[in-house]
Amino acid sequence: MPKEGYLVLAISILVALVIVFVVSFVLYKRTPVPKGCENLKVNEENCSMCGHEECPHYVKKEEEK
Amino acid sequence: MKEILTFVLAIVSAMLIDNVVLSRFYGICPFLGVSKKVKSALGMGIAVVFVIVLATVICWPLYNYILVPAGIEFMDTVAYILVIASLVQLVGLFIKKHSPSLYKTLGIYLPLITTNCAVLGVAQGNTDQALSFIDSLANGLGTSLGFLFVIVVFSCIRVRLESANTPKALKGLPIALITAAIMAMAFMGLQGLFSGIV
Repeated sequence: MPKEGYLVLAISILVALVIVFVVSFVLYKRTPVPKGCENLKVNEENCSMCGHEECPHYVKKEEEK
Repeated sequence: MKEILTFVLAIVSAMLIDNVVLSRFYGICPFLGVSKKVKSALGMGIAVVFVIVLATVICWPLYNYILVPAGIEFMDTVAYILVIASLVQLVGLFIKKHSPSLYKTLGIYLPLITTNCAVLGVAQGNTDQALSFIDSLANGLGTSLGFLFVIVVFSCIRVRLESANTPKALKGLPIALITAAIMAMAFMGLQGLFSGIV
């Protein structure tokens, strides 16, 4: 295959990865939480080390502020 | 036979001698943040093993068969981040849909894996060292098992430290950091473990 062909293939795969991420993110958000897992308790009280917005520790800290 | 021995030694070497947390200082965030309880440390460790191994299996062919022939090797980090983020979302989606019990254990820790630089570090390290697929797999498996081992051991120590008579100034994170430093020194003692074998 010529180099241009590989380039088109590589760009297509990168675009496909972005699409997979967006679709999986949307599906993850839309999927209902299983029964009994609605209010998962956070074990740790003080962790806010990475500041990841999805992390329940971070959310809890923000709510406390 | 020699190949199997090399594969096993590569796993043990990546797990103990070149431990990702204690010698390379990757993945410190979950190592300190999710190690207060043994159960949560175990859950996080297992999730990291799963994601690192899958990311290694996907990233190696992506780099060697797509990015290198196309001449865009510099896009490797972007591609790896996309693979890891997608993988974490898909794993989370699958667990949420099909395994409520596993979701109950891992659910709240799954998004944290995206920010665990040990995952990206393994994929990037495999590329930088130009490892073969089998060697990359051994490196990924060993690194992730090393993370699991260290985080569980560290959580066990932290649980015991909770009831120990620690000076007030050292309670919590300071004593945890001192413990991690002593663990790192202990793991340094394993260097040269296989020097006579391979």
